[in-house]
Amino acid sequence: MRWLPSLAAAAVAIASASAAAQTKIDFFFPVPVDGKLAKEMTRLTKVYNDSQKEVAVTAVYTGSYDETKLKAQAAANAGKPPAVVLMSANFVLDLKIAGDVISLEPMLKADGTTRDKFLTDFWPALHANAIVDGELYAVPYQNSTPLLYFNVDHFKEAGLDPKKPPKTWAELVDAAKKLTKRNGDNVERYGFAMPEGYDYLGWLMEALSLSNGGRYYNEEYGGEVYYDQPSMLGAAQFVEDLVFKHKVMQQGVVEGGGVSTNFLAGKVSMMLLSTGSLSFVRENMKMAYDVAFVPKNVRNAVPIGGGSLVMFKGLNDEQKAAGWKFAKWLSSTENLGAWSRFTGYFSPRKSAYDTPEMKAFMAKNPDAQVAIEQLPYAKPWFATYQTVAVRKALEDEIQAVLNGKKKAGQAVKDAQHNADALLKPYVDQTALKLP
Amino acid sequence: MARSGLIVVGLMVVVAFFWSTPFLWTLVASFRPESAGGIGMASLVPDYTPTWANFMSAFESGNFAVYYLNTAIVAFGILGVQLVTISLAGYAFARLSFPGRDVIFYVFLLQLMLVPPVLIVPNLRTIVDLGLYGTLAGVMAPYFASAFGTFLMRQTFRSIPRDFEEAAFIDGAHWWQTLWHVLLPMAKPGLVAFSLVSLMAHWNEFLWPLMVLNEPSTHTLTIGLATFALGTEGGKEWGMLAAGTLLVMFPLLALFAVFQRQFVNSFMFSGLKG
Repeated sequence: MRWLPSLAAAAVAIASASAAAQTKIDFFFPVPVDGKLAKEMTRLTKVYNDSQKEVAVTAVYTGSYDETKLKAQAAANAGKPPAVVLMSANFVLDLKIAGDVISLEPMLKADGTTRDKFLTDFWPALHANAIVDGELYAVPYQNSTPLLYFNVDHFKEAGLDPKKPPKTWAELVDAAKKLTKRNGDNVERYGFAMPEGYDYLGWLMEALSLSNGGRYYNEEYGGEVYYDQPSMLGAAQFVEDLVFKHKVMQQGVVEGGGVSTNFLAGKVSMMLLSTGSLSFVRENMKMAYDVAFVPKNVRNAVPIGGGSLVMFKGLNDEQKAAGWKFAKWLSSTENLGAWSRFTGYFSPRKSAYDTPEMKAFMAKNPDAQVAIEQLPYAKPWFATYQTVAVRKALEDEIQAVLNGKKKAGQAVKDAQHNADALLKPYVDQTALKLP
Repeated sequence: MARSGLIVVGLMVVVAFFWSTPFLWTLVASFRPESAGGIGMASLVPDYTPTWANFMSAFESGNFAVYYLNTAIVAFGILGVQLVTISLAGYAFARLSFPGRDVIFYVFLLQLMLVPPVLIVPNLRTIVDLGLYGTLAGVMAPYFASAFGTFLMRQTFRSIPRDFEEAAFIDGAHWWQTLWHVLLPMAKPGLVAFSLVSLMAHWNEFLWPLMVLNEPSTHTLTIGLATFALGTEGGKEWGMLAAGTLLVMFPLLALFAVFQRQFVNSFMFSGLKG
């Protein structure tokens, strides 16, 4: 085994020799929409690698957002940090608190620009999830909001005007009642549905509480959520009523895949679903459908969803520069436009919609326009200390409501109690750490 | 007698049906023309003209030839090394006497109590230090020694009467000759049972390979399948999912179908009862 160290030294020498010519970096990306995206992302990276000689990017498919986070953190701890990671936009705060991601301010400075200048072209609603403590930590890449999808044929059949989809919760209930088809005790078709599995449910409860005038969480401070406030209580009561009072939504927890499949099959007439599903519905829906704003009770408001590009700790200066260069290329007007057309996400850059390709695409797919029109009403996505656990604290309670095991009033109280317990360590370290 | 036999058979058919429902649905759905679902998506009845379209689109989603090869290398590579290490370790714990043997054995068994995800970060660090990050060898390395396998082989060896070995020793056999010619042939049921468990576990493993591997050319089947199974914001293309799942499980299924008789035989032929 004497030869081993010298062999290793030789290998290191060779590796560093090639590194001098070219910086090798890893780019981790999940695929939250469709398997074809993994191929497209690999193709995009190859285009980038072929376009220049300084940086060689390896695009690594890393499962879901959760697994991507796990892998990126594990790799960084093991000394192999990915330079760029496509991360769920609301994990950024959590990762920053944990010290896993780096501030992008030095890169902006090196480019001779400022955060404000850099963000001008991005939709204002996206800024909050990209900035932590006054510094830029993420570049928005693929974004979505919830949208009301409805079956035009069912609307006509029920005597509703598909040109005037429900704008308020009252109109939604009214339409859902007319659309629900019963056969004795059997429900053949439900008027309304929404995904109620983990992750999706929290996002949609934020949509409902925002539409009810609420805030869900403190956008400026990661230690507070507003689960037991009137805005969330109203949203939770609304969900309970849709199932048990109006009987227009299926009892129990239905996952996202089940909701979209039911909608495609005509078993459900209206659904709340991500704009990210638009391409999928467009390609697979046999009946006529259309989309509309998420109905409001107090005001029009929806949360942002999707993913942003972040950079991990532990990179050397060359890797940092290379990662930033690649992140800028990925988030260029041209690339964000193409990615949006390919995936169904909206482009976080406003300028993408001024390109001729995008104008042609919007003319051909007017349903994509609704998502853009809703954007001025968009709000940041909830992000707190321990985002996932704090979100689950609410989701578990709402799921109990959907299963008929709890009343809305008790559910939001319990959710607040559990969330407060989870946030306590952070609160004790910050807001309650007094001189 | 015939009557109670019929009842037993009837019960078994019912249980077998329930047990195989997910598989049957996968089979039916994978050949269904409307991949994204229609009214009949949930049905177990193949009321359609079968199509290969789902398999085609699954194949287009990933490089399955590479996935198959990588998965086979990982699963059989691990098994190959494990068979050597668990036989030797099992023999040592069963037959050799050295100070602290039982303590070491129980400490060894403690590994079984650890939940694998806890070890992701420390293991990954070791893999990086060994220079195996991003390689198939890195996926395999942590499994080369198996606490479960060692335990199984120790128990198997202990159930074999010492008389056989003593006979061999008298004839002048080395310990390793005894192990190879006498003990291992008799321990075949244990080895086969362990092989089944090991192959299944590593063929289907997802999280650890995902942590270690980077380049698409090193990806395994489960990672390939995940690219179109994990979409939460898009819709579910059930047909393609079903087809992909079948592609992943098919080789194992075929393997077990072909070797079923040998597996059963090896369990039956112990010849050492009592």
